Amino acid sequence: MSYAHPEYLVDTEWVAQHLEDPNVRIIESDEDSLLYLMGHIPGAVQVDWFSTLQHPLRRDFSTREQFEEICSTLGITNDTSIVFYGDKSNWFACYALWVFQYYGHTNVKIMNGGRIKWEQEKRALVKEVRAYTRTSYSAKEADKSIRAFRNDVFKQIEDKKPMVDVRSLKEYTGELLHMPNYPQEGATRGGHIPGAVSIPWSMAVNEADSAFKSVEELRALYEGKDIKADGEIIAYCRIGERSSLTWFVLKYLLGYEKVKNYDGSWTEWGNLVDAPIEK
Amino acid sequence: MSLPANLQEIVDDFAGMTREEKMETLIGYAESLADLPERFREERAKMEPIPECMTPVFLFAEKADDGSLTFHFDIPPQSPTVRGLAAILATGLNGCKPEEIIAIPADFYAPMKLEDAISGQRLNGFRGVLAHMKQEAVKTMG
Repeated sequence: MSYAHPEYLVDTEWVAQHLEDPNVRIIESDEDSLLYLMGHIPGAVQVDWFSTLQHPLRRDFSTREQFEEICSTLGITNDTSIVFYGDKSNWFACYALWVFQYYGHTNVKIMNGGRIKWEQEKRALVKEVRAYTRTSYSAKEADKSIRAFRNDVFKQIEDKKPMVDVRSLKEYTGELLHMPNYPQEGATRGGHIPGAVSIPWSMAVNEADSAFKSVEELRALYEGKDIKADGEIIAYCRIGERSSLTWFVLKYLLGYEKVKNYDGSWTEWGNLVDAPIEK
Repeated sequence: MSLPANLQEIVDDFAGMTREEKMETLIGYAESLADLPERFREERAKMEPIPECMTPVFLFAEKADDGSLTFHFDIPPQSPTVRGLAAILATGLNGCKPEEIIAIPADFYAPMKLEDAISGQRLNGFRGVLAHMKQEAVKTMG
């Protein structure tokens, strides 16, 4: 059986065949942004989750106008088909795809396996940063159906609707307040949102090549924890990047219709006065 | 207080660089980080991997007869930022005495203004690696 929306996923070979396709823009989005400079897929441009996609002042991602500027600079038109890939099993590639989807760019895909698989197959990486002719991009109205804010989470608890905590088990149980060495991404309280089940993001990808698991494996993984197709689901992690990957899996690989990513995630919830917590 | 001369020199160099130069230099450091010497491999294999999401950083401190320390790292090539930060610390601190390493202020890198080039989150790696080096330095004093 194939994924619910296979058009959202391409393999490395497909990308290799479309390097010069003017209708395709390949975007690298990494946790470690130096990787792009050290070598990237020929013709690929970089969108860094932090320096490109974050709002310069507020804790938020780019505004609609800022997003339009990013796309125009990268030579993206409203008809461009965008393929995202990156390090760490495509975490940040999924985060970037989520932001693009939020601003209405729906012709988006993930390169299955990301950088790791591309490198394993010894495919070409270049240092040349290609410039594209500037375009005049216009974003659509934000698609709020894929983004959860804290008030949605309070409502979710009240309505006893499903939530997925995709962090590591130690973060879920509250044993770890923040990832070691990342103190500024910490929270003053540990634990998880009441009612959320623990399904670490990494369980959705194969360790060997970072590619997504089969649809059968994924279905068993999520349905086994009562995260089902008809549910209204919220996924979260620490800052909303790992949960973008889970959001992508639920929405496009399994075809769940109502899935939101809570990008405030634990760094918001674990610092929020009066918010309920379970351990 | 003043930093060891080698580290001070690196800090001063970075302070005068453009964003692009900082990134290029950091990549240079990342690429220069030596592989873990064979003699540490056995011990390394026994160490617990750090939980997912983190860049696994393994380091060893080796004490010479004169009491100075040399640090050896094992950090995957997929994490050039952390490799670069570790290489800066190794270049700046190898040959120092444990007491000197313990005395390095945790925010010594502030004048380098690395936040121009890499995100604040990744900069925490600097603190993490330095803290780890200090722990190892303390162990050698035992």
